[in-house]
Amino acid sequence: MAMQQHTNEIHLEAQGAVTILDIRGDITAFSESALGDAYRKASEQGAGKLLLKIEKEAYINSGGIAVLIQILAQTRRKDQRVAITGISEHFKKIFNMVGITKFADVFESTELAVQALT
Amino acid sequence: MQPSASNTAVKIVLPNILGYERIAMACSAYFAQLNGLPPDRIEDLKTIVAEATTNAMEHGNGGRAEARVSIWFESTPEAIRVTVKDEGNGFQNTFPDPDIERIMDDRETPVGFGLFLIRNLADHFAYRQLPEGGHRIEMRIAMQP
Repeated sequence: MAMQQHTNEIHLEAQGAVTILDIRGDITAFSESALGDAYRKASEQGAGKLLLKIEKEAYINSGGIAVLIQILAQTRRKDQRVAITGISEHFKKIFNMVGITKFADVFESTELAVQALT
Repeated sequence: MQPSASNTAVKIVLPNILGYERIAMACSAYFAQLNGLPPDRIEDLKTIVAEATTNAMEHGNGGRAEARVSIWFESTPEAIRVTVKDEGNGFQNTFPDPDIERIMDDRETPVGFGLFLIRNLADHFAYRQLPEGGHRIEMRIAMQP
């Protein structure tokens, strides 16, 4: 079907023992490839603690939620710790509703998340 | 059958293009703001409109390029009402709620989050297969919690 394609820009950054995935752009089913590639790269570099930094204005739909949950499932299998930061109050509510917060704590800032993961 | 004859109702018709649900979201936000829906509920409204529109495009219309999605926005003193209609026959309202524990254990595929969000964020949700073809989802967000 016709679709407006978009891609994510994801930068990897190390802060001590924490690898930050700085995700630019909306998170939808189209994010699967970019997010999967960034996660694989971080894992290959030996990341044991990951922070998903999402833009506050990002549009996250049900397809994006499924992509995030697939990443979380992989982190669980690899025994990696994950946290999330940057999301709006609305998406905090949504992440809580779907159960994402059972597997990744949500923090108000990058600093607080890194502190908690370290 | 039209959802309402209200002279303040707004109707938009979208092509079956994934990504265009953002137009419906923006329209719903402005409509709700003009009609006094609180900001946190506007976010709920945007999410359910996006999910219902995406479902209509992908599943209802089955991705057919020539199909359209029609969306009506109406306001009453009690609620904002949104109706989303597709022109297809692929949509099913039978997905059970996704179970994240089972998904994490690889015992379930991560699907059904769109309907899950609609069921949990809307104050009212009704789904109907239309005799003339297509499906209609009606959703309401109350002005007051």
